[in-house]
Amino acid sequence: MKIIKSAFPLVIALFLTYAMNQSWGTIPPIGKIFSPFHGFWMNAESPESGEPTEETLQIDGLHQPVQVVYDEMGVPHVFAQDDHDLYLAQGYLTAKDRLWQMEFQTHFAGGRISEIVGEKGMASDQFQRRMGSVYGAEKSFEGMQQDPAAKMALEAYSSGVNAYIGSLSDRQLPLEYKLLNYRPEPWTPIKSALFLKNMSFVLASGTDDLKMTNILRKYGRDVAEDLFPNYPFQESPIIPVGSPVDFKPVPIPAAPADFTGLGSSMTTPEKDPNIGSNNWAVSGNKTVSGLPILANDPHLTLSLPSIWYQMQLVAPGVNVYGSTMPGTPNVIIGFNKNVAWGVTNVGSDVLDWYQVKFKDASKQEYWHDGKWKKTTMRIESFKIKGKKDMVDTIFFTHHGPVVYLSHEKPFRSNIPVGHALRWIAHEKSQELTTFYQLNRAKNYADYAKALTYYSAPAQNFVFASNEGDIALWVNGKFPLKSKLQGKYLLDGTDAAADWQGFIPQAHNPHVKNPERGFVSSANQFSTDPSYPYYLGWQYAPSERGRRINERLAVMEKITMDSLRGLQNDNFNIRARELLPLLFAQVKSPNAAQSKALAALKSWNLVNSPESVGATIFENWVLTLQSCLWDDEFSEDEKVPMSRPAMDRTIQLIKSEPAARWWDDTKTPVKESMSDIVMKSLQANLDSLVKHHGPQGPEWAWYKVKQTGVRHLIPGMDALSRLNIPIGGGGTIVNATTTRTGPSWRLVVELSKEGKPRAYGVYPGGQSGNPGSSHYDDLIDTWAKGELKPLLYLESPDQKSNRLRKKITLSK
Amino acid sequence: MNKLIYGLILVVIGALVGIYLPWYAMGVAFGLIAFALNMPLKSSFLIGFMAGYLLWIFSALWLDMQHPSTLPGRMAQVFPLKGNVFALFMLTGLLGGLFSGIWTWAGARLRQNK
Repeated sequence: MKIIKSAFPLVIALFLTYAMNQSWGTIPPIGKIFSPFHGFWMNAESPESGEPTEETLQIDGLHQPVQVVYDEMGVPHVFAQDDHDLYLAQGYLTAKDRLWQMEFQTHFAGGRISEIVGEKGMASDQFQRRMGSVYGAEKSFEGMQQDPAAKMALEAYSSGVNAYIGSLSDRQLPLEYKLLNYRPEPWTPIKSALFLKNMSFVLASGTDDLKMTNILRKYGRDVAEDLFPNYPFQESPIIPVGSPVDFKPVPIPAAPADFTGLGSSMTTPEKDPNIGSNNWAVSGNKTVSGLPILANDPHLTLSLPSIWYQMQLVAPGVNVYGSTMPGTPNVIIGFNKNVAWGVTNVGSDVLDWYQVKFKDASKQEYWHDGKWKKTTMRIESFKIKGKKDMVDTIFFTHHGPVVYLSHEKPFRSNIPVGHALRWIAHEKSQELTTFYQLNRAKNYADYAKALTYYSAPAQNFVFASNEGDIALWVNGKFPLKSKLQGKYLLDGTDAAADWQGFIPQAHNPHVKNPERGFVSSANQFSTDPSYPYYLGWQYAPSERGRRINERLAVMEKITMDSLRGLQNDNFNIRARELLPLLFAQVKSPNAAQSKALAALKSWNLVNSPESVGATIFENWVLTLQSCLWDDEFSEDEKVPMSRPAMDRTIQLIKSEPAARWWDDTKTPVKESMSDIVMKSLQANLDSLVKHHGPQGPEWAWYKVKQTGVRHLIPGMDALSRLNIPIGGGGTIVNATTTRTGPSWRLVVELSKEGKPRAYGVYPGGQSGNPGSSHYDDLIDTWAKGELKPLLYLESPDQKSNRLRKKITLSK
Repeated sequence: MNKLIYGLILVVIGALVGIYLPWYAMGVAFGLIAFALNMPLKSSFLIGFMAGYLLWIFSALWLDMQHPSTLPGRMAQVFPLKGNVFALFMLTGLLGGLFSGIWTWAGARLRQNK
């Protein structure tokens, strides 16, 4: 009895220790994380100052020592003596700044988030795996192994990451591991493949086939094709109209029989990413220097740690500077002594759904081309934190995985049940070879050859060289389709509906040194309808592309700074066109409406941060679309449908004032176009007043838009930057929205002497550590529309007052 | 021995154990010391608490002075302290103190098995 009594405090102490060493829900292990010898206090890093510091780190596996110098932005400039050491150092240094992000993103891509966050990550994980993310990565990894240079880069990169992971003790772990209470696992080359495949998820997984089939079933083909046209009312395609075609097209497959499918789907909210990008290159005869200048700004979901990581990679045969993606070797967007390149996304249709007819409930066989064929099965196992492991069986037809069976509830509302997925992301591919070669390209021929290896996600690769060439290839692997094939759900039993091979890469849309003196892309249609192949029916709205092209057409004596200005252009070309049309429909406005209309009339059509006019206009577009279309296209949430694009609405206002669509079918009276315009104006003001009070300075565009750069852990506001004062908008060249925007801005001017000058910035910083001054130190520069000069070094000993730290990696 | 000496011993050992061993080793070490030195039961919790409190709060202050950063401000939002860095230091000290105090008391109590 005595011993029990005297051991009682020990029991309390042990229990307390256990409790303080555990996560409780989202609460981190309170003892471990507050201990100044182990927890977050250890993660503080002070800004560098004064004389550059020198340090030597020992790393296994290097052939020769590698010199690394860091500049004042925290960009490592890496000087290695062979490719192997270069990529090993890239892996090591990237991990040193971004390990948690690299691992978290590949866990997400591989459907393994529930290992970290428990059951609540399960639906997303299952969706990722069912879409075939791991299957696709395995295929792509096979492809990467076929090129010895890419394989070596991948493996060396992986060793570098592992050398860093191996050097970490618990107390040195990045902050997020401490908050979420887990440890990094070894890196493997296939994680790089998962990361690249995830880019297809981000950029090439949009699918409206189900919604379009729902429309087809309700309104018939004529209405569907009228309201969802296959080329917009207004467009300025990427390949200038009238560009010569330098190939003989291969025959186009015959169209499959009409199919109206099952349509419908149970529904959960769909993610609607507002992502796209701009890039352009202007030829030397339009620039002050006489040499081409190239600019690129990819728009992605803005996040911290930053999506991009700047690096300069130097070894015999390569000296390249640019932005890399943590998780993969090479520079993705950048420049070297001779050339510069950049990318924007291509919205072509590379994802289709085939309705599957299974023989019976066992799903062992499915009907195709007049016979029963065997399905294959893939078992995916899930480790779930705090729960038992789970396994999931995915059935595959020759098309691809049946993502959701008929009785299942899809993760997103645009995913049809009972359909097999045919997707370019499942193809074997060699994207790394493209970037490996672009990093070393000397001229147009090298660039064009590098692109032949690229599959997905398809990109508009813009290019400029110091030989004076500018070019743009709409590049990727595109299925060879009949016209409109895959606009709607397809019949999985009909062999004629299968993808019939691919468009030869040399036939991809491209343009070199066009007469107009510039090339550009902003995710709009790749070509006008004269292009012999069908690539897709729906691309990003044309406004950004039209604005860029109208500016570049008139700009002369171009400098890097004038192109920086164009990247930050906030002019609202949609408002220029639409507002006069709307004003003409206004009748007997009330006091509040008159006040708003007055603000719009005096607005300079620029989406500047402080603009109230921009707020009223942008919100009016939303309410107009909703008032016009929701009665017909959003009446039943179980039958999700697409809404006609704004381009179609403008066409309707201009030329179809009596169309049946103007009437609100939910009211007994018959509304006119003017009624709907006034109704949408009132709805617009009601919602603004409700959320932001009466019209006044609180309606400033940036206060309503609320652009934020958010940490990758959802809800982690303390590690995010919110309410950034910046203008722009989804259809503005400065495409900054609430959650998305220019994730990297680059302007490069080439030089005959091999001394390119470049400027760049991204909304974040080089370090992934929230305790470092480089975590978000570039955000203010980015928000102001300014760029930082990029330091392009010839040797590690080159003098510069911008160098802060020197590290020697030794074997 | 007086309380101050006990406290000093704990702080020194706590720092060494903190630097080389997992975080909870400090508590176990305090328990062992209290047991070995036969610390007075009545003041054992207070001695342990003060040692843990001072060790953690001053270590945190020292780290923050060595590496001034925005991290404490951010962490004072991750833990709902409304960004109050002073409160974050206090909380660090309190957690270190509570943890140490209980272990020291447990060690002392076990020795005085009656």
